[in-house]
Amino acid sequence: MKSMTRIVSVLLVLLVSVAAFAGCGKTGGTIADPVPDKDGNITLLIGGIGALTGDYAVYGTAVKNGCQLAIDEINEAGGINGLKLALDFQDSQGIAENAVNAYGNLIDKGMVISLGGVMSTETASIVAAAKDDGIFILTPSGSAKSCIEGNDNAFRLCFNDPQQGTASANFIADNSLAKKVAVFYQSDLDYSVGLYENFKKQCAERGIEIVVENSFTESNSTDFSTQINAIKSSEAELVFIPIYAAEAATFLTQARSAELNDVTFFGCDGIDGILEKIDKNDTAIVEGLMMLTPFAADSKEPDVVAFVEKYKTAFGAAPNQFAADGYDAIYTIKAAIEKAGFSKDNVKDFQKGLVAAMTQIEVDGVTGTMKWTADGENNKDAMALVFRNGVAVAFEK
Amino acid sequence: MTEFFQTLVSGLSLGSIYALIALGYTMVYGIAKMLNFAHGDIIMVGAYAVITTVMISEAIPGIVAVVISVIVCVVLGVTIEFFAYRPLRKAPSLTVLITAIGVSYLLQNLALLIFGSEQKSFKLDFFDMIKPIYIGKVYINGITFLTLVVTVIIMIALTLFINKTRLGKAMRAVSEDKEAAELMGINVNRTITLTFAIGSALAAVASIFYGGAYTYIRPTTGSMPGIKAFTAAVFGGIGSIPGAMLGGILLGVIEKFAENAISQWSNAIVFVVLVIVLVVKPTGLLGKKINEKV
Amino acid sequence: MKITENSRFFTRDRITLLIISVIFLLASLLLYTDNLSRQTTNMLIPISCYIVLAVSLNLVVGLLGELSLGHAGFMSVGLFSGCLVSIALEGVLPMAARLPLSMLIGGIFAAVVGLIVGLPALRLRGDYLAIVTLACGEIIKDIINNLKITGGALGLNTLPIYSKPVELLPFAIVLVFLTVIIAMNLKHSRHGRAITAIRDNRIAAEASGINVTYYKLLVFVIAAFFAGMAGVLYGHSYSNVKSVLFDYNMSIEILVIVVLGGMGSVRGSVIAAILLRALPEALRAVADIRMLLYSVLLIAIMLLNASPKFAELRGRLSVRNLIQFFKDRRKQRSSADGKEAN
Repeated sequence: MKSMTRIVSVLLVLLVSVAAFAGCGKTGGTIADPVPDKDGNITLLIGGIGALTGDYAVYGTAVKNGCQLAIDEINEAGGINGLKLALDFQDSQGIAENAVNAYGNLIDKGMVISLGGVMSTETASIVAAAKDDGIFILTPSGSAKSCIEGNDNAFRLCFNDPQQGTASANFIADNSLAKKVAVFYQSDLDYSVGLYENFKKQCAERGIEIVVENSFTESNSTDFSTQINAIKSSEAELVFIPIYAAEAATFLTQARSAELNDVTFFGCDGIDGILEKIDKNDTAIVEGLMMLTPFAADSKEPDVVAFVEKYKTAFGAAPNQFAADGYDAIYTIKAAIEKAGFSKDNVKDFQKGLVAAMTQIEVDGVTGTMKWTADGENNKDAMALVFRNGVAVAFEK
Repeated sequence: MTEFFQTLVSGLSLGSIYALIALGYTMVYGIAKMLNFAHGDIIMVGAYAVITTVMISEAIPGIVAVVISVIVCVVLGVTIEFFAYRPLRKAPSLTVLITAIGVSYLLQNLALLIFGSEQKSFKLDFFDMIKPIYIGKVYINGITFLTLVVTVIIMIALTLFINKTRLGKAMRAVSEDKEAAELMGINVNRTITLTFAIGSALAAVASIFYGGAYTYIRPTTGSMPGIKAFTAAVFGGIGSIPGAMLGGILLGVIEKFAENAISQWSNAIVFVVLVIVLVVKPTGLLGKKINEKV
Repeated sequence: MKITENSRFFTRDRITLLIISVIFLLASLLLYTDNLSRQTTNMLIPISCYIVLAVSLNLVVGLLGELSLGHAGFMSVGLFSGCLVSIALEGVLPMAARLPLSMLIGGIFAAVVGLIVGLPALRLRGDYLAIVTLACGEIIKDIINNLKITGGALGLNTLPIYSKPVELLPFAIVLVFLTVIIAMNLKHSRHGRAITAIRDNRIAAEASGINVTYYKLLVFVIAAFFAGMAGVLYGHSYSNVKSVLFDYNMSIEILVIVVLGGMGSVRGSVIAAILLRALPEALRAVADIRMLLYSVLLIAIMLLNASPKFAELRGRLSVRNLIQFFKDRRKQRSSADGKEAN
């Protein structure tokens, strides 16, 4: 009887595996060109993935709002050469597995342009599948260097983590903000480690001495007293904090209450949104905090002023850098479509055309002027903001 | 040297919070013989109870919020015991533990639905009244000082309660042998409910100091301190009240010194301590050996 | 009971195998004829991995009766070691050889770690063992996060070995069958009965000459081995993997599958794994309350199982009893008919 079970099982395994291997020749297939609906109009479905709920919702929601604003503007103005845009933004809660499922869902719905993921983790998890599909990706804010690597169709709108780390060190040196710095980073967060490593490298180049290096992990992100003590007893004049807004809020609150006052805190784009994380009456916590970012909501540039006004009307709050990234991403896509010469009557080789156009365009967006290289990076400038009376304003020496 | 003492102060601060939580653990584990995985989450609920009360009206003094938090936690602890744990009194420990994990997740996810996953700032008026002290260059937070004092007072009060009162005696009897205790006319169910009530009240007190010291709370706030406090309770010897105090303080100090030396490994080091303690000396520092009955 | 079960062609185990075969046949058929949506396609490999994880954890929880909260840790050990091997062999071996080999190596690494973690199991039981496995899972996570070779916090770049679900599915099917068949055979073997004896009464089992130490370690090692294999497969379906994903929350998610499927039931684990991984995707709207639902179910199932009234009710309502009930009714009726005819 026992051998019988065995034979039956082996047979079943064979049967199923043969059935599976039989069709193995087929590939997933590349993305088809956009097709007109019955009235002959073409609507390009742009797919976004990001956290709309959960710990990282502040980033995903901002990107989504920025994208939506730009798409509404473009559609109201008649589209791009007759092409209309539509946005489908899916919630990933910041989890890679969800991002992959959401990507599949978007492909099922006929997505022809992908915004990758809002965070690096999400972008990285779909970039390989997207490579097989041959779909064009422009991630507004996936900043880890590796998250678009190995996919020639993938581009990013923000600057990458190494660039941010290096730019931070350069900015500190150029403006002689400090000679001795402390670093406080999250050792189990790719974004944070990426920035920290490149910051360290560039500090060595520019003659900035790192006197304290401190880290924490997600499960230890409530009590920073030891790290604050170490910074306090060092001679650091500036603390570099390449972390996300929630942890930065905790860190700064505890640092203030431990009377760590005579140092400058300096963060990057992850700090953006910190005002939503702290108590409204406690803006003194972030007083003097500096942040390296390509976007300042208080800028006097006419296009930025217009964007901020519209965003405030639509969503009731000033946009942060992530919203600006989303906004610029859509306008970059518009520029690429125009450059490639696509219109209502010509969408042949859509993906290839977009990719080829990306390296030829120059976009003057709300986050700066950008030109792309074939590896997907752009060259925009970073500027520094500083928080004064609960508002982020451009840094002036 | 300043850094050493400063780290020691941080360790004592964290350690006394662990000790407060561990006291609750050790009571429940020692008497009901079950690992209340949800104990850490009761702390989280306590902290949310405080900020909700304060949010309703600025005029409510902090001490009222504290009382409300204690009441909420006690009611919650007793309710959980009644609905989830009492029917499982004779069930295998595996069943009880899985239920406790379920309760822990239930509390976390309820908090997630009600309060959202964003962290909330925790503030109480009377914490601002205690001014920080400097001893030399060593900075001691007012809250740290208060936590230590309150933990010691609670420890002494609990020890007296367990050793000197009738109810305490009943608790010890239930801990030794439930059936025999029942035969002696002790209401086992009521005694265990009382244990949960005390444990939950301690959790509420812990939540106030936790929130005060670390300024922000979120739905997952309780789970890690809960697990670590269980380690502390085992470290000190489960069932022993001075043991929980000692274990909590030691663990807090170890964690902070580990963090000072090699910050990215501090969590792993605490867990290594846990594994070593459990494997090498499961009875803990001040615990007594329990003989297995067939 | 045993004899009557064996004398029928459709034993419980064969029905389970049949169910899995039908599900996979259907999935492959739809997938290879390009009739499966991308969303479902992307879920095939993770679901297969969760089936393997749940069935292997079920050996520890259901068969041995100990709680392991470090299963995700074993999975990540297998994942990172196996994927590193696979990356090194990329271009050297074709995928059909490279993937099974790296899965085997990943499994062995995980088994070794399982042995190391299982050693405390010799001294500990129940709550303490559960906490130790949880701690070990967290230690593994921190170690991998701080290693240079695994890419540290930036994660391991598995892009070179990334494979589409179409290519991975055959391997996933073989792995699921392997795990399920071995789990079933272990359960019904002499060893399986020894392990159940340890679960039901350790002291009595020891007194009857069963080597408790050996069997406890055996179960831990086998479970870790399969978790490691599943990890390697999982790693191949993503282009970047980070150790922070494999924390104790993930272990508890696997535990939820085991408990909802029924402790000790292979078929239950398989079905629960499919349902629990597919449902949230099908009903994205309820994603927020998914974990809330899980926790309520977890408590409810534990309470119902412990309640004697429910056990009686369930015994009366089981499929087999219902069939028996109708058979009896028919027999009664036919005999009644017979009587009438007479």
